[in-house]
Amino acid sequence: MHDLGIVGAGPAGMAAALAVADMGFSVIVVDEQARAGGQIFRRPPEAWGERHGVYRPYAWARDLIERFEDHPKITAAFRATAFGVLRGNDKDDRASLELAVSSPDGGQRVSARRLLLATGAYDMPVAFPGWTLPGVMTAGAIQSLIKSQKLLSGKRVVLAGSHPIQLILAGQLLDAGADIVEIALARDLPGLKEMARGLPAVPGHVSIFTEAVRALSKIMRHGVPIRWRTVVSEATPEDTGLRVRLETVDPSWLGTGESHLHEADILVLGYGFTPSTELARQAGCEMKWDSAGGGWTVLHDARFQSTAPDIFVAGEPTGVAGAERAWAEGHIAGLFIAASLGAKLDDRALSHSTRRLIRAGRFSDVMQTMFEPKRKALAELSRQDETVICRCEEVRNRQIEDALQNNPFIQSVNAVKLECRSGMGVCQGRYCEGTVAARIGNAREASIEASGYYNAHLPVKPVALQVYRDISKD
Amino acid sequence: MFKAQRLKANRGRALQFTFEGTTVTAYDGETVATALLAAGVTAFNVTRGGEPRMPFCNMGTCFDCAVCVNGHSLVRACLTDVSSGMQVNRQEGK
Ligand SMILES: Cc1cc2nc3c(=O)[nH]c(=O)nc-3n(C[C@H](O)[C@H](O)[C@H](O)COP(=O)(O)OP(=O)(O)OC[C@H]3O[C@@H](n4cnc5c(N)ncnc54)[C@H](O)[C@@H]3O)c2cc1C
Ligand code: FES
Repeated sequence: MHDLGIVGAGPAGMAAALAVADMGFSVIVVDEQARAGGQIFRRPPEAWGERHGVYRPYAWARDLIERFEDHPKITAAFRATAFGVLRGNDKDDRASLELAVSSPDGGQRVSARRLLLATGAYDMPVAFPGWTLPGVMTAGAIQSLIKSQKLLSGKRVVLAGSHPIQLILAGQLLDAGADIVEIALARDLPGLKEMARGLPAVPGHVSIFTEAVRALSKIMRHGVPIRWRTVVSEATPEDTGLRVRLETVDPSWLGTGESHLHEADILVLGYGFTPSTELARQAGCEMKWDSAGGGWTVLHDARFQSTAPDIFVAGEPTGVAGAERAWAEGHIAGLFIAASLGAKLDDRALSHSTRRLIRAGRFSDVMQTMFEPKRKALAELSRQDETVICRCEEVRNRQIEDALQNNPFIQSVNAVKLECRSGMGVCQGRYCEGTVAARIGNAREASIEASGYYNAHLPVKPVALQVYRDISKD
Repeated sequence: MFKAQRLKANRGRALQFTFEGTTVTAYDGETVATALLAAGVTAFNVTRGGEPRMPFCNMGTCFDCAVCVNGHSLVRACLTDVSSGMQVNRQEGK
């Protein structure tokens, strides 16, 4: 039995692990990736002989990773997937929580007195005709392949989306030798007024802006066109790659019908991020809608405790707000977890981290408002009958529209799931929930929030039968 | 079709595994996804509807990179490290 079990070794999970382990408690961390760092600090594999990757502009990452990896009270298991939270009988007055974990060696139950879900975020899915084709990939995929595997996915690249990460990624792609055909961004070029409103974000984040300026000047030097108010509306397969249709949109991001075509090997989608909340849902944590924060987030109190007893949450699942804020949330959660285990609350450390949290929040608030995706407009991109909405079960738009028309009482994503299987496949609805919710919202003239979220059940990620047998043993 | 390209790096030692019975060379520390992308594989799996699929997220959330590894189905290639002698097959009807 460990004092704390953590899912996710990103900035939030690492900061929390250190705060708790520094008080003398034992911590176990599981992560599906090969090494600690999370999505933002993905680095080359250990077998290639380098301890560190490039963490610019986050100078604190190096020290965080080293302290995490070297701490005697922290055990970490990589290539290990947490696929469920189990609540056992309370023995000896102790909360008994277990993580069901699957790794290449089989299944295992990991028990801990407290759990922290620091599961991060994934690229926000936006369905359109052709989004399931080989060669269409997310910004996170392209970036992590460059950073951690030193692999350039293709030579001719079109980037489309709405998140500023596309500009940073374009810089990395140019460094790797890619030819960028065009960068399409859904929103307008920010005007002076909007820029002025963004000024509070600057103090303490100069290095992030420097990084963005560095990427922009590289883009300009290479003469890469950036087109604002443009979205990708279709991809079709060609013998030599993809044909990508880019469409001009109005200020509300709805298509104007005016479009142009490009040929490319790779189409990169980057609309922002969606919090990974399936474990929290399965564990019974209450959720909260926060569109600017990425959609459904995990409800928590000031100590980062969720509504499920003894389960805490930190980082992107509380709302996508970047690496700095994930670190601060993880650290604060760790301090309160240690206190709940019997340590004295470290007031000085808490006020230090709270200041960091507030400073990081000023930055993320501005980013969130400036780049909040217009969800209902983006959902219109998959309006054609045959467009695949649920990638796994290959449920098409027509089936969802029919279900809504034939069943006037359907109001929720869970009801649509039962009716037409969208969200029942291997990704467990992570890639269709948003589009289905927007469709319901549209048909019933309700908010996206009103259609709710898919329930999650164990296993939240499919595992082999043998893994079940392993965890069923006592 | 596109082919991914390995960038300059100090990779691990070279090793061999098979995809659909054909030998693929990869480097210690690479994932199955990286090795297959670099080898120019054009379908990691085929959906029940007959559509080819390839890695989409590279972070374990979409399952579009699913392959069969040593007889186990639905293994995410983006989270699986290559090893010598591994037998990888296309997943049919994900
Ligand atoms: C491609 C990409 C680029 C980004 N770039 C930036 C940037 O430049 N600046 C910025 O501020 N933010 C960026 N972000 C946002 C970024 O996610 C956060 O800033 C930061 O990484 C969040 O830290 P975290 O600890 O909350 O989550 P993460 O760093 O995402 O860590 C979560 C970890 O949990 C693991 N995990 C999740 N579920 C499970 C499970 N069931 N079992 C086992 N392990 C699991 C994942 O493998 C992952 O390692 C980026 C995100 C992505 C995806
Ligand atoms: S590419 Fe999405 S799970 Fe592997």
